[in-house]
Amino acid sequence: MQKSTIQFLLINCFLAIVLISCGSVTKNYTPKKLDKTSYTVPYFSDSKTDYVYKTNISVYGNELSGIFIAKKINDTTHRIVFTTEFGNKLMDFEISETDFKVNSIVSELDRKILINTLKEDFRLLLKKEYQIQEQFENESADIYKSADGKRDNYIFISKKDQKLEKIVHASQTKEKFTLLFSSENNIFAEKIQIIHQNIKLKIELNYFKSE
Amino acid sequence: MKTKIALLILFISGNLFAQEQKMTAAEITQFTEDVNVVSKKIKTLTTDFVQYKHLDFLSKDIETSGKMVFKEPALLQWQYKKPYNYSITFKNGKILINDEGKKSAVDIGNSKIFARINKLIVGSVSGNMFDDKEFTISYFKLKGQNLAKFIPKDATLKKYIKQIELTFDKEEATVVQVKLLESSEDYTRIVLKNKVINAKIDDSVFTN
Repeated sequence: MQKSTIQFLLINCFLAIVLISCGSVTKNYTPKKLDKTSYTVPYFSDSKTDYVYKTNISVYGNELSGIFIAKKINDTTHRIVFTTEFGNKLMDFEISETDFKVNSIVSELDRKILINTLKEDFRLLLKKEYQIQEQFENESADIYKSADGKRDNYIFISKKDQKLEKIVHASQTKEKFTLLFSSENNIFAEKIQIIHQNIKLKIELNYFKSE
Repeated sequence: MKTKIALLILFISGNLFAQEQKMTAAEITQFTEDVNVVSKKIKTLTTDFVQYKHLDFLSKDIETSGKMVFKEPALLQWQYKKPYNYSITFKNGKILINDEGKKSAVDIGNSKIFARINKLIVGSVSGNMFDDKEFTISYFKLKGQNLAKFIPKDATLKKYIKQIELTFDKEEATVVQVKLLESSEDYTRIVLKNKVINAKIDDSVFTN
């Protein structure tokens, strides 16, 4: 009897630990009263701008580099092209919040899992408008929670200069991937990192000015 | 008035026609011979280059530039210097990369497609790639220049490059521009300038 009670307690403790450690992604944030119901991302929104970045992709220890190009081609859609430094096109996508089209992809990269991952990453990177349901804060940022299907996006706006510096895509319990932005003017992001938490994938974009 | 317009149209279209005129069989023989004679003399070659990546949907071509070094028989290095530092070296079945100081190497010893691409790049720069087995080739005359268009016969290669166009200086019979077409709308154009032929180049240059 006593043995089973101890067992029961142990299991309970174990469960409690699991629950706490899973917790919610917001456990370190302090809830705050909502100060807006929507947020518009400033980056990638100008249809006149060619967004051209030198890119490094690190995937499971392999390094890939090239040029990432994004351009807003109409109200809803961006064209995304990834080329080598030589200019050979490796992938060419058209992406909106609801549609996704592969214009071309070299056979070496034509893997469903890769395409789906990039689709998710780029869709979030290019997403313009977020509806806000909850708000939090930490020491340095205001954090806005925006529902995204079964998951949520957390938008981090720095308290210091009101710049969008991070978006975290997460399930109820786990962060899936994170977008980090460095921007001087809050219109254009000079440096972007896409970091996956559940797979070993990191994409780094550094803006370069053509001569 | 009507005749004037007709004449004008005739003049313009005549001009357009004159810009890219097909070579005769005799001219082709002469031209390929000239290029082969010059390219056979090339032991080393360095040249500055400007690369224009044209994508139809962009408002401006993406411009990068740097220096290219070639040494016989197959040592080749492209150094991009602006707007970023990136070099790619083809050497003994390996591709050596230096990406802003980050070094890596890819063994391509057994990759047929890379061997082909390597041969093609060396061929484009030296001009010596008139290989009927590999390409369907057509020849044109331009003002002060000659133009050769190469369509790969190999299906795998064709997936990457639809057509290669080499523009030659008529007098020197050397390549001044390489254009790699991926589709009718998208291409990479590389302009070569400040060419130096047969200067002494040490093998140690070809590293990352």
